[in-house]
Amino acid sequence: MDAITNLLKIISDFVAELIRSVLGFSPLLAELVTMGIAAVVLITFAALSFMGLTYVERKVVARIQDRLGPNQAGPFGLLQPLADGIKMFTKEDTTPATADRWVYNAAPLVIAVFALATYAVIPFAPGVVGTNLNVGVFYVLAIGSGSIVAILMAGWGSNNKYALLGAFRTVAQLIGYEVPMLLNVLTVVLVTGSMSLIDIINHQTLADGNPGIPHILMLPLPALVFLISGIAETGRSPFDLLEAESEIVAGFHTEYSGMKFALFFLGEYVNALAVSFVFSTLFLGGYAGPILPPYVWILLKAALVFFVFMWLRGTLPRVRIDQMHALNWKFLVPMSTVNLVLVMLVLKLFPTSESAAQAFGGLLVTPWVQTIILAAVNLGVLFTALTLAARAARRFRQAEEEMIMRRRAANLAAAKA
Amino acid sequence: MRTDFAFVGVMIVSAALLMGVTLLAASFLRPKKPNTAKLSTYECGMETVGDTWVQFRVNYYILALVFVLFDIEAILLFPIAVAFNALPLFAVLNVVLFILVLLAALLYAWRKGALDWE
Amino acid sequence: MTLQQVIFIILAIAVIGSALFVVTTSNLFRGALMLIVAFFGVAGFYVLLDNGLFAVAQVMIYIGAISILIIFSVMLTRGMQAMIPRNAQAGSVAIAAALLFLILLLAFGPFRLVVDLSGVPILSALFRTESARVLGGVPWQFANREVPETYIADFGRALVDLNQFLLPFLLVAFLVDAVLAGAIYIARQRKPAEVIAEREAIAKEEAEELAALQPQPNAPTLPQGAIASTADH
Repeated sequence: MDAITNLLKIISDFVAELIRSVLGFSPLLAELVTMGIAAVVLITFAALSFMGLTYVERKVVARIQDRLGPNQAGPFGLLQPLADGIKMFTKEDTTPATADRWVYNAAPLVIAVFALATYAVIPFAPGVVGTNLNVGVFYVLAIGSGSIVAILMAGWGSNNKYALLGAFRTVAQLIGYEVPMLLNVLTVVLVTGSMSLIDIINHQTLADGNPGIPHILMLPLPALVFLISGIAETGRSPFDLLEAESEIVAGFHTEYSGMKFALFFLGEYVNALAVSFVFSTLFLGGYAGPILPPYVWILLKAALVFFVFMWLRGTLPRVRIDQMHALNWKFLVPMSTVNLVLVMLVLKLFPTSESAAQAFGGLLVTPWVQTIILAAVNLGVLFTALTLAARAARRFRQAEEEMIMRRRAANLAAAKA
Repeated sequence: MRTDFAFVGVMIVSAALLMGVTLLAASFLRPKKPNTAKLSTYECGMETVGDTWVQFRVNYYILALVFVLFDIEAILLFPIAVAFNALPLFAVLNVVLFILVLLAALLYAWRKGALDWE
Repeated sequence: MTLQQVIFIILAIAVIGSALFVVTTSNLFRGALMLIVAFFGVAGFYVLLDNGLFAVAQVMIYIGAISILIIFSVMLTRGMQAMIPRNAQAGSVAIAAALLFLILLLAFGPFRLVVDLSGVPILSALFRTESARVLGGVPWQFANREVPETYIADFGRALVDLNQFLLPFLLVAFLVDAVLAGAIYIARQRKPAEVIAEREAIAKEEAEELAALQPQPNAPTLPQGAIASTADH
């Protein structure tokens, strides 16, 4: 039983021992080779799951939309990713003659590399993590913002007006939705007291390894806003206005075909999967779970989050660009800021540890009571914000109707005269 | 800590190598038959007129500026959040003041219409 | 040579090389991209100094935000594609910069110049040096301390400590407010008459420059209230 639970750790220890015995003459080289193998394993896992996810996504979205999805290539269309892969490899690469060679070719590589670099800090089981950076969650966010420049490279390198315009819009969306992500990850770090992903998981498990209070119960509003920002950050529906074929062709990757386009595609899916992994680590408890082995738990949780992504893609219509910006800057960011301040105050007024209570002078409570208070405050902020937004929307609608009525009356008067 | 980041470096290098190898493999496998139509820039089938420039929209720049502001706020708040448990009342009030000042900046931009996408 | 030294040399070459490319290139976009390479190099230096927080903050702020601002301003300015900045003073500036670099290296580097003027007759009378004078060189102290594991929490506490960095911390907030207010003022929506007046002034300036470059008796006149088009860029 123990072997199955710690399977990944046993395998990784065995491989590390093997390499150390083979390359015993230079511990540095052994270390590097072990890290290299771990990196290759992670990248292969990400690439294979990319292939599987394209298939699963098409099937799920199709079923939501009451159709079948791919079912021609192999039984149940299971060989569809293989067919897609062959197509990507053998499509001709139509590079525009006036494109800037280096920049044009480097852009998809940079995006794919940055998307894959996120997997270095995700913990798959206790002790099985690429590297436990003590700035783990901060690193994930920084890698996300680092990949934004590659989109500008792609748009500019194509030497195409529409690609450039698409790149600007994409970058405006991505940097906009980075802000509520930052603010809400801050609340998780506040509650945990550390930026390391393993510490965050440990904060959600009890001392004996059983799952404790997942952060989604404590902080429902940050979880929701992180989910929304995550969808917007990866450019998925309903925020995929950048790929709206009828408006701007294919946005910043108009001039790319074949393998380079496949790398953009890979970057998007790998990013979405990374966001699901990070969400399940931050809010759902990561690899903690009662009976099943930990690596199964984290895969299940990430799959659940990704299913929510696919569900939203098949259900919601696309938003307009001004709606998207208004949602971000006028709703999500002020709400997240107010929530951050209130979470800070609640954490200080109702601490759970003796030392904090003595330092600040708050009311000492048990973790569950603090959870309930935090959740109540979060939901209060959410409902207040929604009510205010609804009221503002109603006022806006009424003003519009009034204006239309007045214009209609003026037209009638002018027609009569 | 250096060894922690060493894995990050290894990861980036391996990802670049693997993706580069994939691109190279693809460049051997695919056909190469360029002609003028394929090499020209794509504009929904029409000819491109004029240089490639984009109309100056100041919205993009203001949004990027507001993002820089909030980014700076976030990186100052992250270490404070890590040290939050032991902070006294005075410190917490200062942090709240910091956040509220930045929220006031956002509200100012909102009132001035800088956040509207035309 | 340890691995750390090798990595340091590689990063140093990358940073200095890309910085040189940035200041000498005429392709502004490539220059901005090389600036990003330089920022990555600096982040690598922070990692070598055992400060992961600053490395990641460097990537997030400089590469994730400021580079985007720079690239926006490069790409959104009309005529940037055609402008090839010509610098007639490049040579003399390079010499001055090299001299300044040598002086700074002497003043702050680990080198010390020992000047013994006691033997020279006139100068010793002028400067009254009894013994050899040591010029330059700062005795840098290397703090052989490890960066503690709790450096993030220490930094956070220092930011809000009244005796340490509280004042700069609050000043950053107010400074940021002022920057945003200034930018919004500069980028405000102007009334149409204002826009036409501005563009007329710009067109007049450009016509004057054109006339100055090409000594022609009749400079091309623009029609009334024209808006300078980008067709000639």
